[in-house]
Amino acid sequence: MGVQLLLEKVKVEGIRHYDVYRREGGYRSVEKALKQMSPEAIVEEVKKSGLRGRGGAGFPAGMKWSFIAKPEGVPRHLVCNADESEPGTFKDRYLMEFIPHLLIEGLIVSSYALGSNDTYIYIRGEYAWIADILETAIEEAKANGMLGKNILQSGFDCNIYVHRGAGAYICGEETALIESLEGKRGNPRIKPPFPAVQGVWMRPTVVNNVETLAAVVPIINDGGEAYAKIGVGKSTGTKLISACGNINRPGVYEIDMTISVEEFIYSDEYCGGIPNGKRLKACIPGGSSVPILPANLLLKTAKGEARLMNYESLSDGGFVSGSMMGSGGFIVLDEDQCIVKNTYTLTRFYRHESCGQCSPCREGTGWMEKILWRLENGEGKESDIDLLWDIQRRIEGNTICPLGDAAAWPVAAAIRHFRDEFEWHVREPQEARKRNYGLAHYADPIHVPVAG
Amino acid sequence: MSEQPLLTVTIDNITLQVPAGTTILQAARKIGGEVAPPAMCYYSKLKESGGKCRTCLVEVSKGSEKDPRPLPKLVASCRTTVMDGMEVKNITSPRVLDARAGVVEFLLINHPLDCPICDQAGECHLQDLSYEHGKEGTRYEFQRRTFKKHDLGPYIQLHMTRCILCYRCVYTADQLTARREHGVLDRGDHAEIATHIEKSLENNFIGNVIDVCPVGALTDKTFRFKNRVWFLKPLNAHRDCPDCCGKVTLWNRGDEVYRVTARKDEWGEVESLEDGSAAWICNTCRFDKKKTSDWVIEGPRDINRHSVISQGHYAGKIGTTTPTEIFTAVHDGRQPKLLMDIHSVSEVNRPEIELSRIAGPSHSNDFQKGNE
Amino acid sequence: MNKNNIGFYMVTFSEQELAKVKEIISHYPEGKQKSALLPVLHLAQDTFGGWLSTDTMDYVAGLLSIEPIEVYEVATFYSMYNLKPMGKYVFEVCQTGPCMIQGSDNIIAYIGSKLGIRPGETTSDGMFSLKTVECLGACGYAPMMQLGKHYREHLTPEKVDAIIAECRNNAAAQN
Ligand SMILES: Cc1cc2nc3c(=O)[nH]c(=O)nc-3n(C[C@H](O)[C@H](O)[C@H](O)COP(=O)(O)O)c2cc1C
Ligand code: SF4
Ligand code: SF4
Ligand code: FES
Ligand code: FES
Repeated sequence: MGVQLLLEKVKVEGIRHYDVYRREGGYRSVEKALKQMSPEAIVEEVKKSGLRGRGGAGFPAGMKWSFIAKPEGVPRHLVCNADESEPGTFKDRYLMEFIPHLLIEGLIVSSYALGSNDTYIYIRGEYAWIADILETAIEEAKANGMLGKNILQSGFDCNIYVHRGAGAYICGEETALIESLEGKRGNPRIKPPFPAVQGVWMRPTVVNNVETLAAVVPIINDGGEAYAKIGVGKSTGTKLISACGNINRPGVYEIDMTISVEEFIYSDEYCGGIPNGKRLKACIPGGSSVPILPANLLLKTAKGEARLMNYESLSDGGFVSGSMMGSGGFIVLDEDQCIVKNTYTLTRFYRHESCGQCSPCREGTGWMEKILWRLENGEGKESDIDLLWDIQRRIEGNTICPLGDAAAWPVAAAIRHFRDEFEWHVREPQEARKRNYGLAHYADPIHVPVAG
Repeated sequence: MSEQPLLTVTIDNITLQVPAGTTILQAARKIGGEVAPPAMCYYSKLKESGGKCRTCLVEVSKGSEKDPRPLPKLVASCRTTVMDGMEVKNITSPRVLDARAGVVEFLLINHPLDCPICDQAGECHLQDLSYEHGKEGTRYEFQRRTFKKHDLGPYIQLHMTRCILCYRCVYTADQLTARREHGVLDRGDHAEIATHIEKSLENNFIGNVIDVCPVGALTDKTFRFKNRVWFLKPLNAHRDCPDCCGKVTLWNRGDEVYRVTARKDEWGEVESLEDGSAAWICNTCRFDKKKTSDWVIEGPRDINRHSVISQGHYAGKIGTTTPTEIFTAVHDGRQPKLLMDIHSVSEVNRPEIELSRIAGPSHSNDFQKGNE
Repeated sequence: MNKNNIGFYMVTFSEQELAKVKEIISHYPEGKQKSALLPVLHLAQDTFGGWLSTDTMDYVAGLLSIEPIEVYEVATFYSMYNLKPMGKYVFEVCQTGPCMIQGSDNIIAYIGSKLGIRPGETTSDGMFSLKTVECLGACGYAPMMQLGKHYREHLTPEKVDAIIAECRNNAAAQN
């Protein structure tokens, strides 16, 4: 295994509890930050680290923090985004479930940096037992003087509250999350104003992903520069990847972003290859919203270079021949998987999760779902494929929030790379119902390894 | 910095100056004509409205003097404020026209296209919009969405299938009435306007939802099916009302008052009074004062260019309306396309039905089959 | 819990629950008690029979001094709130892409045939409901379902059988 900054201690017996966590070196960053550093210095350190948001968009965290407005007499809030609902993504859950104090520690330091005395963890409603784990961790931290009034005699007060959602992917979008935190429907807000100026209760607010905030701990402990040395280019530090689908070892892995996609899939340290001697067909490397890539383009970029597990390399080639790091939900499809069906279930997901505010997303997702259902069930027409393309094209970029894009991209990429499979569903509906299309010619140009 | 600087903005090659804080849509409305993007959800008199329908999308080809980069995405002109030196393309942008055609298509795929029996026909912004920006025919081949019937009481009729979820009625109830009793329930493509419990809406200013609704989803129950608006004569009238401004439009046939509405401006919005506030009217004026003697008649009212009523689309003259000058002027001399022939899609007022021949008051049955 | 003798839940929280509500409200700034709506609705659903009746929602509106419609709007938006009575045990099986790849369709069909119900239905004895849901964040442990507060992962027909038996036993033990 490479460097482990977040999950190094995750297997330590009892690490879920304060005493063990503290004994293993936990809460050092709180001591360091509150006793020796100014809030500005922390923001600087995070800037230096090059840490990018781990929630999907990859926006530099330090930069985001420096945007927060500081009007006189108005409280500011930090909100931790633990809504984690993007299909394929389950890394935040792992972190919170097994090493909750790491998040609490990161939250205290970040709250101090941003001047948030009341900090919220917005956790998806289904993670009910994890909410309990976090609440216990908060209680423990409080009992040990890490939370509450005048933490470590620094004069800084901080409380952390867990706020459970109730089943809505859209509440992961930061303004929808804010609305939901205010007790409303999760309708994303129209921006501007941005949360950094008017967020929750119209106060300046920063929303960050769980992993982003946890990463603040090693950054403060070891310094931003040390953090920036890990990884490559603008992909600094380590990244949690949740791997699922047709692989031998599904789970959450902490990687430094220098390893190749091929190593990640086939090495026994990570996914351990594809079960049952099947071949790799395709992969959605960053959560269901990002473009699916056929095996050849996944392992090598269009330029023929090995593709690496980092922000730049995964998006190399743009949407024509690349994809995105996204939220780090790595979904592997073997040769038995049907692209049309997979795309159908994802589109159904987006239809189900659309908040319904804006017309392209509300109407377009449902329409695409119906067409995909028809194609999958052998009732499609040749023209459906172009129609799908046209619908997704007119959703993308024209909606209030990026859920519209998230719904459009998977459809676009599936058609872009697997059009022949769609056509086959139309031409051979009987066959399509009986069996899968298997590997198409797209896998040919480059050798596609067999497991083992 | 000077006080309240004027900002320069160019929209479809027409330059004007507007005060800071003006949205692109407001600026474009100052130019008027086709340069003003269609707005289905924005309503200048309702706070927070706008941003949802996406019909008003425009392209910002130059962000501002300071930062001339174009904005990567189309933006909702109703919610984007003008920056100094900004350059905007509305009908001069093929991208905008394409996106808008898409939005119109999206708005129509689940729309029942029941204009023949809709009381809003002739005043419907969706009709106008599809007429101007839509495509002929539909590519949607699935069953249209339906909803459980929902009764809102004796005054207001809800046809949920026609709703475009603009949220205007929700903001109206929030901002004008003592308590909001209806709202948007459920989510996504099943979101609906409802009260959850069958509840009649009777709050004194709630009738204004009828005027703000851009389509025929909320209509006046006291007027239902009694007549078609283009047979009625609109008159400005007022009365001394203890609750509201009392300034209304009466819709008469002969001496009979068929309907009372607020007065609307050329954008289909309730007019502003001298003091700048909106001329909302109360339920008493709207629903109870149905005698000419209740009112002081001021005179006939002009119908704005926006309305289908004034354009004679319904007399079987489809395609013969002349586009306003400005459209061709800024549109490289191209003529606007007749994009959607509502007749062919929905059998609305089929050309062979000569409406003026129907002895009024007409009834929805007049439009049903077997009456040709 | 306040269950009256005809089996309906009286919609009033106990002292203890009211204290909990108060505690939740205290998490948010003065006057922003509406923010407590989601957590209080969870509490109400758990307390009053696993679903939110109109009475329950009106009661919550009263507790938080907000309009009933504000509660209805929220309750109908979020998928975890049940607006009709559910079975004692609700099997919420994920059907999204990653789970589908691992055969969630078969699991749904298997549960359906075992219990004689289709997704969205409840067994006639009111014991089980089957609900299909979208990704629950357990994609690596697919196929999976949520049962009450917890996840059941790596489902197989055998595991499903065991879970059904477990529920029946628990129910029997409670009566
Ligand atoms: C539809 C949608 C769903 C999202 N879901 C999540 C989520 O579950 N968790 C998350 O951290 N970010 C999610 N995001 C991204 C957030 O909007 C936001 O960018 C993120 O919380 C910022 O934190 P970061 O900068 O630390 O990544 C989502 C965005 C969209 C548009
Ligand atoms: S894009 Fe979809 S989810 Fe986002 S605001 Fe619009 S309708 Fe809601
Ligand atoms: S009923 Fe009318 S006003 Fe209300 S949301 Fe629907 S279309 Fe808009
Ligand atoms: S009018 Fe601007 S989005 Fe609807
Ligand atoms: S797809 Fe089933 S848990 Fe994510």
